[in-house]
Amino acid sequence: MRMHEQFSPMRAAIDIGSNTIHIVVARSTSNDLDIVEDQVALVRIGESVNATGEISQEKAEATIDLLKEYKALAEKHGADPIFVVATEAIRQARNSAAFVQQVQRETGLTVELISGTAEAVLTFYGATYEVSKGPNPPAQVGVMDLGGGSLELVTARNMQITWRVSIPIGSGWLHDRYLSSNPPSYDELVVADAFLQAYFQGLRVKHHPPVLIVTGGSANSLLHLVHRAFKLEENQTQLTQRDLVRCQGLLSSLPAEEIAQRFDQPLERARILLAGALIIQAVMSRLHINEIHVSSHGIREGVLLAYERYGDRWLEVVSKSAADLNHQQQSEAPVPIIPEEQPFARSGRRMLLERTQKMVEWLKEVQKHEDIEAVHKMRVASRRLRAALDAYESCCDPKLFKKVYRQVKKTADTLGAARDTDVMLLDLQAQLEQAKSEEQAGIRWIIKRLETFRQQKQDELDSFLESLDEGTLKKQVESLIPEGVKSNGKG
Amino acid sequence: MAKARPITGLDPQAPTGKNARIIAKVRLEDLYSWESYVDNPYSIQELHNLRIAAKRLRYTLEVFEGVLPEASKSVVKELAQIQEELGSLHDSDVMIALLRLCLASQDSATSPDIVQSDANKHNVKGKSLVSPEMAAAFLDTAVTPSAEERYGLEQLLQSREQLREKQYSAFRQHWYTLQARDFRRETLEILDV
Repeated sequence: MRMHEQFSPMRAAIDIGSNTIHIVVARSTSNDLDIVEDQVALVRIGESVNATGEISQEKAEATIDLLKEYKALAEKHGADPIFVVATEAIRQARNSAAFVQQVQRETGLTVELISGTAEAVLTFYGATYEVSKGPNPPAQVGVMDLGGGSLELVTARNMQITWRVSIPIGSGWLHDRYLSSNPPSYDELVVADAFLQAYFQGLRVKHHPPVLIVTGGSANSLLHLVHRAFKLEENQTQLTQRDLVRCQGLLSSLPAEEIAQRFDQPLERARILLAGALIIQAVMSRLHINEIHVSSHGIREGVLLAYERYGDRWLEVVSKSAADLNHQQQSEAPVPIIPEEQPFARSGRRMLLERTQKMVEWLKEVQKHEDIEAVHKMRVASRRLRAALDAYESCCDPKLFKKVYRQVKKTADTLGAARDTDVMLLDLQAQLEQAKSEEQAGIRWIIKRLETFRQQKQDELDSFLESLDEGTLKKQVESLIPEGVKSNGKG
Repeated sequence: MAKARPITGLDPQAPTGKNARIIAKVRLEDLYSWESYVDNPYSIQELHNLRIAAKRLRYTLEVFEGVLPEASKSVVKELAQIQEELGSLHDSDVMIALLRLCLASQDSATSPDIVQSDANKHNVKGKSLVSPEMAAAFLDTAVTPSAEERYGLEQLLQSREQLREKQYSAFRQHWYTLQARDFRRETLEILDV
């Protein structure tokens, strides 16, 4: 411990991200930190937000349990205050306000929901404080914070932020959307890679920093993986394109459980690591950079530094500098997943493939017969695919379109027959609980008939899904919109 | 309901944002083409079609959410609510048709085929609310309800009809709230940004 830090106050900062919840306890000054605790747990709140738009009660409870533990840890070190900030996943959730209240009620901790720009500013402080206090800080630097639900990219000159962009793509998001098999299949990898290439091609990069610091759980886990699997020296914190290609090979050939066990990674992290590697590689290619510096510091350290610099008004000051940055850039709007100017036919090729992938990835779940919600989710995915097919019909090869459309409709109808019966059964079962005794016999009679009927529908569904050739369907969808298409005459 | 109508005037090489707006506007017109049935609670098929049209517009806005203005999310929210309201109404219609079918088949010595056709008569044009397969499963003479079970079914039918009335009122009230703020124009203005 450095002398001056013995008397520095102890503080704690917790950040709730879409993948992880992280705490740092440190003796803090305005330009340095002596970290005494640094812990992280993977809760993946973003998973429930991606699936339903809300933080599930299960995730809320897991978060609260962890926050209670973190609070006790911070108090053990005499940390005061204990800051809690929440980022992308919480901001996006429809029930964020209720969640924040629940946390306050059950833990006594106040959660600050921070904007994307404030998050970027704080992360920049945290990720660069070590290089900025060094003898030769780089004149130009970029910081990328890769989270579960989004990615923040910031560039700076003389440690002053000059540009930032928020991208709604994170490792958890990419995994849930494209890479959900374990390990991800070749087809999934191709689609995910095609998506990232198309997306980043459309990203206008204003500055190309020669040095890029990458922070966030995925980057740090990849560094750990490279240390363990490819024997990189322990004090090395740089990763090259080549290292990431090697990670990709490893992560796409072994199941997450094996990655977790062999390379000492939490299972939940192992699942989304390939997505993280793909995103980092795509950004490196876009910035023409061959090497990144991985930092374990980020938003939490940024919060502690900001508090020491600006006191109780730290969030106000950070938000103001974030607003100034927005004003300078005239926009905080995230870069859309489909660039608005992208030609319709091109966005269609990607969109149709993506929607098809989304639908077929429910196949195994439906066939397991474990959760009736899987039938519902696959049906919804088939409807979304139909909506995309309807939208892009005018660009499609008419014959092939008919074939694919018929197949998707048949899928939706077969799932629909089973799902509609499930809904009736759920409804009747709820009524049965509240019905008077003389009414119950009638409800039981109809439930029994419906259950027999539902079994028939399940048999039909099983045999239909058995015959559904996933590979052929994907190939057909890939060829739906021919290159250089003008119009098929329908439009 | 038939397949969504193909959209005319789309240039495959035009920006996605431009075409997305054209498609969304057509789906909005499709939705409002069923508006005149909102005041008739027993236009079962037409209210069902209105629900499908709302669903198509909602999914179109979701498919293109990345290239449409942020404000289109509030339109999606309203559409999801309409879809939910009309979905519950439709579920009640199916349940009522099924209960009537079960009860009618016990009322007389009428053949199951006639009962089924009678139960569907006032429902939908050309398409049964209760599928022929489902009807067959319930018209099996080997599994007729006892007097006690029949009483329960009658009570269930009665409560379901009351619930349907409430569901219809909730939907209609929501529709008129949207009318009052000119939801159609509001949506068009969002799409014109």
